[in-house]
Amino acid sequence: MSLTTGATLRRDAEHLVGGLPPLLAEANRLASSVILGVHGRRRTGMGENFWQYRQAMPGDDLATVDWRRSGRTDAVFIREREWEAAHTVAIWCDPARSMHFSSHKSLDTKFHRAAVMSLALSVLLSKAGERIAFPATAVGEARTGERHLQRIAATLSSIAPDEEYGEVPKFDQLNAARTVFFSDFLGPEDKVLAPLRTAAERAGVGSIVQILDPTEISFPFDGRVIFESMGGAIEFETLRAKALREEYQERLEKRKDLLTQFARDTGWRFVQHQTSQSPTQLLLWLYMAIGVV
Amino acid sequence: MVALGGIVFLAPLVLLGLLALPLLWWLLRATPPSPVHIKFPGVQLLLGLFDRDKVSDRTPWWLLLLRLLAMAAAIIAFAEPVINPEESPDREGPLLILFDGGWANAGDWTARLEELEQVLEDAARAGRPTALINLSDAIPEQATLSFRDARELVTGARALEAAAWQPDREGYARWLEAQDVTFDSVWLTDNIAYDDSDLASLLQERGNVQVFASNADPMALRPMRIEEGAFVIDAIARPLDQDRDVTITIFGTAPNGAELRLAEETVQFPATAYFTEARFELPLELRNRVTRAVLSNQSHAAAVVLADDGLRRRKVALIGTSIQEGPQLVDPMFYLRKALEPNVELVEGELSELLLTAPDVLILADAGELSLSDSEKLIAWIEEGGLLVRFAGPRLAASGAGQLVEVPLLPVRLRAGGRNLGGAMTWGDPKQLEPFAESSPFFGLAIPDDVTVSAQVVAQPSPELSERTLASLTDGTPLVTAKSLGEGRVILFHVTANAEWSNLPLSGLFVQMLERLSVVSGGEPLAAELAGRRWLLERELNGYGRLSDPEPMQPVDGERLIDDPVGPDAPPGLYSSGELTAAVNVMSSDSVLESITWPAGLVPIIPGEQEEQALKHWFLLAALVLLLVDVLATLFVSGRLRNMKAAHAATTGLLAMGLFLSADPGQAQDDIDAIRSANDTVLAYVLTGDPAIDRVSHAGLLGLSVILSERTSIEPVEPIGVDIQRDELAFFPLLYWPIIETQRPLTPEAIEKLNRFMATGGTIFFDTRDANLGAGFGSGTANGRALQRLAAELNIPPLEPVPADHVLTRAFYLLQEFPGRWVGPDVWVEISTGTSTEGMTFAAANDGVSPVIIGANDWAAGWAIENDGRPMFTVGRGMNGARQRELAFRFGVNLVMYIMTGNYKSDQVHVPALLERLGE
Repeated sequence: MSLTTGATLRRDAEHLVGGLPPLLAEANRLASSVILGVHGRRRTGMGENFWQYRQAMPGDDLATVDWRRSGRTDAVFIREREWEAAHTVAIWCDPARSMHFSSHKSLDTKFHRAAVMSLALSVLLSKAGERIAFPATAVGEARTGERHLQRIAATLSSIAPDEEYGEVPKFDQLNAARTVFFSDFLGPEDKVLAPLRTAAERAGVGSIVQILDPTEISFPFDGRVIFESMGGAIEFETLRAKALREEYQERLEKRKDLLTQFARDTGWRFVQHQTSQSPTQLLLWLYMAIGVV
Repeated sequence: MVALGGIVFLAPLVLLGLLALPLLWWLLRATPPSPVHIKFPGVQLLLGLFDRDKVSDRTPWWLLLLRLLAMAAAIIAFAEPVINPEESPDREGPLLILFDGGWANAGDWTARLEELEQVLEDAARAGRPTALINLSDAIPEQATLSFRDARELVTGARALEAAAWQPDREGYARWLEAQDVTFDSVWLTDNIAYDDSDLASLLQERGNVQVFASNADPMALRPMRIEEGAFVIDAIARPLDQDRDVTITIFGTAPNGAELRLAEETVQFPATAYFTEARFELPLELRNRVTRAVLSNQSHAAAVVLADDGLRRRKVALIGTSIQEGPQLVDPMFYLRKALEPNVELVEGELSELLLTAPDVLILADAGELSLSDSEKLIAWIEEGGLLVRFAGPRLAASGAGQLVEVPLLPVRLRAGGRNLGGAMTWGDPKQLEPFAESSPFFGLAIPDDVTVSAQVVAQPSPELSERTLASLTDGTPLVTAKSLGEGRVILFHVTANAEWSNLPLSGLFVQMLERLSVVSGGEPLAAELAGRRWLLERELNGYGRLSDPEPMQPVDGERLIDDPVGPDAPPGLYSSGELTAAVNVMSSDSVLESITWPAGLVPIIPGEQEEQALKHWFLLAALVLLLVDVLATLFVSGRLRNMKAAHAATTGLLAMGLFLSADPGQAQDDIDAIRSANDTVLAYVLTGDPAIDRVSHAGLLGLSVILSERTSIEPVEPIGVDIQRDELAFFPLLYWPIIETQRPLTPEAIEKLNRFMATGGTIFFDTRDANLGAGFGSGTANGRALQRLAAELNIPPLEPVPADHVLTRAFYLLQEFPGRWVGPDVWVEISTGTSTEGMTFAAANDGVSPVIIGANDWAAGWAIENDGRPMFTVGRGMNGARQRELAFRFGVNLVMYIMTGNYKSDQVHVPALLERLGE
């Protein structure tokens, strides 16, 4: 797999639709900073040849014999299959309406931040040869490679929100070694924790990233306000919003505590990220957290 | 219409909307402030929380009140409140319009006519049959009042001229009484009661009456009279609530026949007075030249009094026994004749004949006993107001008259014989005169040291003697005594009229004493002489106070002139009959001005004081402001003022609004204008207050500026309108001043500013815009008069029409005429002092630029262009018009060149070239 250079990116951009190239480009840019920073040495010596051969031994499945290699010598060689056990990383990027929110036009929406993060992570993983899957989407199958990345990008760009709050999907068919969850985790409590537990049972080590808008933390409202969920399905009216701030922040803190507790119980990792913070920081953290490369 | 303490609502039904206010209160009260909708993903976390503080779910009362006030203001605004409403004549049926066309309205005649026209137009719009009566016209012959379409009357009304006499209300009241019709009436009056007629009540009987009263304060002059040798003129006016200054100017003829301003006096007119007196101490020579006295700032007939023979030359009859063959110098009459001849009309002859000529004064010099019939006639004449002046002499002393008893024709009893002082055979020296007592008419006259009396007739001591003594000698013996007899007086000089007894007749004091005794000039007009003659009007005083040649008319009976006030059949002016000239003035010597007492239920509408004022916009404005405050308050209540930016925006908006409302919009512009004017050349025009004129001025100077930029190195920026009272003038080289009829008088500060402007190099270009149609320079047209009034205040040098070799004629183009929109009369500039062969040498000041230029060709209209560059007005016809416009522009270019470069163009350098071109 070749590096995604500026030239290929442009070429690809012409083929792709809509907001995809910016998303991928952004992810690439983000990813490259990590690669250069932490794992730069590993790049030398990496080539196309990921295969390893060994002489066939009794008991080996005939179908696994690489006849072309074996034809050159008298011995029979078998293509080493160990590499197939390469990690599958499942990423869940919450597509719900609540994620499509930013309090100010200079800030990214939470979803955008999540999409960029997950895509950047995908690029890194893809380069490391890992397989990436986005369960419950069009790219739900674990794959790797440039083409897959492009499909991921296209999928993330064209995702249409339907629910108010996202729910962690079931990881039925996947045996993911690592899982990463991007969400605001602001939905109803039972819809947040229960699926996480299910996922924790099936998937491997996970990382939970709670992405929040700054206003969701500071709650800078006052006066008579009707708060609406992004889809408008949920409304809440108050006459003095300011008076609710402390209670709100308490609840938010409690949610954070819940998630932290959950992470501690399961050996997962939890981080809270604000869209006003730098994404690089988070990416680095994730990269280390996954620790597969 | 519904009235409410001076405020009237034109649409009172709208006020019912106020009833809805309580409902609004309830609604507003029930509805909490509208919430903000905010998308917020964290809403899930909020579910289940409760507001602890429930107070603000209702609008606070003060916010409610604010909104209700705003609402009420809006409702009231749409009910169209009006202060001092003019009742619109929305009735039907015939309408009679009465108009006081007399002198009292002449001062602001144009405004009065506009009012009249307005009334006529209203009537025309209402379609009412209308009749118009000018109360100053002669009472029509035909007996019926005919009503016509008001439109037909407009033309006639526009052509009305102010009459010099007062409206004949009494006559018209009688005339109207004979009319058997009912009508509504509108009376445009000058609000002066001339007679006792009650026209208003009569009109009220016939229908609805509406009175428009003028708010002018006309003053008038009573005829001049002479008191103790001084001219006395009474100014009369209605009492006002403030003191006023009145200035009376006396005009007379100079020896060369030109009219001169002889004297001017300003006296204070006390607030509550009906008249005030101005005294003029004039030398005799000047006094006899007086032709008229004029009240300044009043341009109507009653502000002018004319002088006539009655004031000037008195008829003095001399009776004495002339010595036919003796030396002239001892003739008792000689010094009298010499003293009186220049100033009075002298008649001499027998007493009985002289009395028939009705002399003002009769002088008896050293007459003895008169015959019984003569003295009876003489006494009768004196008792009717004659003045008899007697001189003593040997004959009187010898006659023994009045020695035993007091006789009517001598003021005091005399002692027999006389007394000689200082002669060869006497002990005493000739006596000198005692200084005149304060009660004496001679008080204040200087007594020369060399005047002595050597002989006199001596009065018998009596109780009355001292009060009858007008002058006495140092030893206390009387020199002049006087007593009243009927309406007349008898005066006795106890010396001779020649130098025999005294050298008094040789001194100047003698003439002055005669003058003080009103021998030389009297105070009564020719009233007595008016009667019994027929008088021909020679010069007519028109309504505006100017003398003109009259239309030919029948001679007027003297009795008519005496008995009745002036009128259409006997206009004021100078009348002649034979050699006599009589002045007939508008006012008589006992005239008083008073306002009309209006009958109950009739309140005259006085323009200016009670002008109808619509209040709608003020109420709407109040509503708007309240709503803006409400915006802020609502933001505050709902906590959204926390957002500083929004708060700033809102406050800024409010403040800007407030500034916009309160600040004079021109003020802010001032500095910008000043900077612009100082940086660039700017042509300026005077803002007249008439938007149409100002627009034309602006467009005109703009057009000229464009032409100047195209053709010359002067590149003015957009012209500026200048408010004379307020703006700084120092920036402008040229001030174009279109004159309008309603030009207001300038304040003293503005006058000073303009004078300084002219003195420091500025030029004012006056344009009366009327091509002087109808009159000579600045005298006849309304604009011309406005200019005259204006210019009288300013420091304007003598003017002359632009001479053929003036710099204006060749500053840029060679021109000889200066057309604007009109091709017309001369343009006037400061008179040039001295000429030389090449060009003109002007007064050194201002580099030879005239501080004023006056014309009438409406240049601004000639220059005016629209924004797209097309001319605004038609000038002339066809190609000639185009040529005329071009010439107008050329004049403008020359004008600005002249003002900017001064006498540069008159330098010799250009003369050869100019001569060459001039020769073509």
